[in-house]
Amino acid sequence: MVLDDLGSSLRGTLDKLRGKSRISEEDVDEVVKEIQRSLLQADVDTSLVMELSDDISSRALDEEPPGGTTARDHVLRIVYEELVDLVGESTELPLEEQTILLAGLQGSGKTTTAAKMAWWFSKKGLRPAVIQTDTFRPGAYDQAKQMADSAEVSFYGDPDESDPVAIARDGLEATSDAEVHIVDTAGRHALEDDLIDEIEDIEDAVDPDRRLLVLDAAIGQGAKEQAQRFDDAIGIDGVVITKLDGTAKGGGALTAVNETESTIAFLGSGETVKDIERFEPSGFISRLLGMGDLKQLTERV
Amino acid sequence: KAKSLATGKVILDEDDLEEPLWDLEMALLESDVEMSVAEEILDTIEADLTGERRGFTEQTENIVTAALRDALLEVIDVGQFDFDEHVAASEKPVVIVFTGVNGVGKTTTIAKLAKYLDDRGYSSVLANGDTYRAGANEQIQEHAERLDKKLISHERGGDPTAVIYDAVEYAEANDVDVVLGDTAGRLHTSNDLMAQLEKLDRIVDPDLTIFVDEAVAGQDAVNRAKEFDSAASIDGTILTMADADAQGGAAISISYVTGKPILFLGTGQTYDDLEKFDPETLVDDLLGEA
Ligand SMILES: Nc1nc2c(ncn2[C@@H]2O[C@H](COP(=O)(O)OP(=O)(O)OP(=O)(O)O)[C@@H](O)[C@H]2O)c(=O)[nH]1
Ligand SMILES: Nc1nc2c(ncn2[C@@H]2O[C@H](COP(=O)(O)OP(=O)(O)OP(=O)(O)O)[C@@H](O)[C@H]2O)c(=O)[nH]1
Ligand SMILES: [Mg+2]
Ligand SMILES: [Mg+2]
Repeated sequence: MVLDDLGSSLRGTLDKLRGKSRISEEDVDEVVKEIQRSLLQADVDTSLVMELSDDISSRALDEEPPGGTTARDHVLRIVYEELVDLVGESTELPLEEQTILLAGLQGSGKTTTAAKMAWWFSKKGLRPAVIQTDTFRPGAYDQAKQMADSAEVSFYGDPDESDPVAIARDGLEATSDAEVHIVDTAGRHALEDDLIDEIEDIEDAVDPDRRLLVLDAAIGQGAKEQAQRFDDAIGIDGVVITKLDGTAKGGGALTAVNETESTIAFLGSGETVKDIERFEPSGFISRLLGMGDLKQLTERV
Repeated sequence: KAKSLATGKVILDEDDLEEPLWDLEMALLESDVEMSVAEEILDTIEADLTGERRGFTEQTENIVTAALRDALLEVIDVGQFDFDEHVAASEKPVVIVFTGVNGVGKTTTIAKLAKYLDDRGYSSVLANGDTYRAGANEQIQEHAERLDKKLISHERGGDPTAVIYDAVEYAEANDVDVVLGDTAGRLHTSNDLMAQLEKLDRIVDPDLTIFVDEAVAGQDAVNRAKEFDSAASIDGTILTMADADAQGGAAISISYVTGKPILFLGTGQTYDDLEKFDPETLVDDLLGEA
C-alpha cells in the first residue's frame, strides 16, 4: 500500500561504490548527501544531521579501509558505527522493584504504553501496577483501567480526585504489594508552563527510578525542543517510541536521545498491550536509513 | 554582466540561485515541510527565477524569498471555503465525519466544533464511530454531557458505520442541524481498518470528511494524508496542537497532497481553543515575518 521508496537512492549511490577500493572525495560527498536525505526524511533534527554527516565524511576520507573491503562497505560501516554510537543500547531495565514515570505530549501514547510496559514486566515474572494520574482528559481513568484489565495487571486511579500529585502518592501506597509501579501522566507540551510545573510536582512525589519520554514516531523537528523541556523539568532517562506500525521513521527519537543524553527503552507497534518490544539499535537504524539489515552488512567488514 | 549593469538589470543564472535555494530547502525542512513537497516548491521557484531580469539593486535573496512566499501561498491557499457558510448553505442534517491517525485530537476537535456550532446557533449530535479504543465511549460521553449534546454510541466492538447511520436518523427525526461523526484512530498501514473507513465513507456518504492531523507531525504527514484521502476523500483538514509548534510545515505538506484547505487550527485543550485557519498568517509564520 504505502510504497517505501526511502533509502532506495541511498542504496543506488552505495551500489556505485561496490566495486571500488579507493574512495574519492566526490564519492564520499555523494554518499553523505544521500545519507543526509534519508535522515532528514526520517525527521532527525536538521543540525544533528549536519553534525553526523560531517563526522561521517571526515572519517570516510581519513580512515584507511581495512584490507579487502570495498569503498561501499567502508562507508556503510562508518555510517552504522556513528549511528549506533549516538543511539546506544536499549535503556537498562533491571528486573527488580522500581517506579517508572511516563511523560510526553498529548496523544503520544503514554496510557497505552503504561499498560504495555506493565504487560511486559508481568511476562518477566514481576508484579506490576499502573497508576493513572491524568485528571484532565475525559475518560482517562476508564481508558487506563480497561487497558490495565486487558494486560491483567493491578490498577489504581481515582476519578473523584482532581489533584494528580495526591493520586500518585495514594496510588503508590495502595499498590505497595506490586513490584513495578508505572505512573501514567496527562499529556502536556513544552510551552505549557503550568503543566510542566505539575509534572515536576508529580516527579517529586513519586521519586521514580526511571523517567521515560513517550514520543510518537511521527513527531517532526519539534522533538528537540520538547525533549529539552521535559529533560530540564524532570530529567529523562529513556525514550519510548510509539506507532512504529505506521510509516514514520522515528527520527525524532534520535534527536531526543541526543538532547537528553539518554537511550531508547521500548518500541510500540500497535494498540494492544502485546504490541511492545525492547529497543534494539540495528533494526531501528536500518529503518531510519530505509535500508535492510545493516548490522549484517557491517559484520562482513 | 556589463550590459545588464548598464541597463540596471541582472540576469539570474542557476549558480546565483544555488545557495539561496539550498538555504531555503533547509529552512523548509526545519519547518517540517515534507522533503518531496519542499523540492517541488523549490523547483517552481527556480523555474520562475532562472533567466529572469531583475533590477540589480534587488538582492537575489529578497527575490527568492518573494518567490517562495508566492509558491507557499499557492500550495496552501487551495479552494479555501468558509466552514460557517458551508454549514448554512447545506441541506440539514449536515453530516461530517472526522478521520485521522491515532491520538491526533479527533474526539477533542469534535467536542470543540459542537461548541463552535452551538455558539453560531446550530444544533448538533455526536456519534461515536470509535467502537474500538479503550475508554473511547467514556471520553466522548463526558464531552457530550459537558456540552449538553446528545451522543449516539454502541457497545465496544460494534460497527462504526451503523453508529453514524443511527445518528443521521436521529438528526433527521429530531431536526438536528449537524452530525459530528467520530472514528477510531488508525494508522494508514492497517489495511483492515482503512477498508473499514472506506466502507463507512461509501455507506454514510458524508457531506464533509475532515482529516485531523497535528501540527507537530513531521515528514510522515504526507503519507498519511495521501492514504486517508484515497480511502475516504478529504474535503478539508484541521490541524491540532498548533499551540505546541510554531512551525506548521505539516499544513503545507497536507494541503499539497490533498489539494484541500486547512479549515481550523486546534490551539489547546479547552473547547474554545479552535481558530479559523488563515493561509497568509501561516506563510508569514513560516517566513519568520510574523
Ligand atoms: N497504531 C498504534 N497506535 C498506538 C500506539 N500506541 C498508542 N496508540 C494509539 O494512540 C492513541 C493515543 O494513545 P494514548 O495512550 O491515549 O496516548 P496518551 O499519550 O496517553 O494521550 P493523552 O493522555 O491524551 O496525552 C490511541 O488511539 C492509542 O490506541 C502504537 O504503538 N501503535
Ligand atoms: N495542546 C493541545 N492538545 C490537544 C489539542 N487537541 C487535542 N489535544 C489533546 O490531545 C489528546 C488526544 O486527543 P483525542 O481527541 O483523544 O485524539 P483522537 O484523535 O480522538 O485519539 P484516538 O481516538 O485515540 O485516535 C488529548 O489529551 C487532547 O486533550 C490541541 O489543539 N492542543
Ligand atoms: Mg493518556
Ligand atoms: Mg478519539
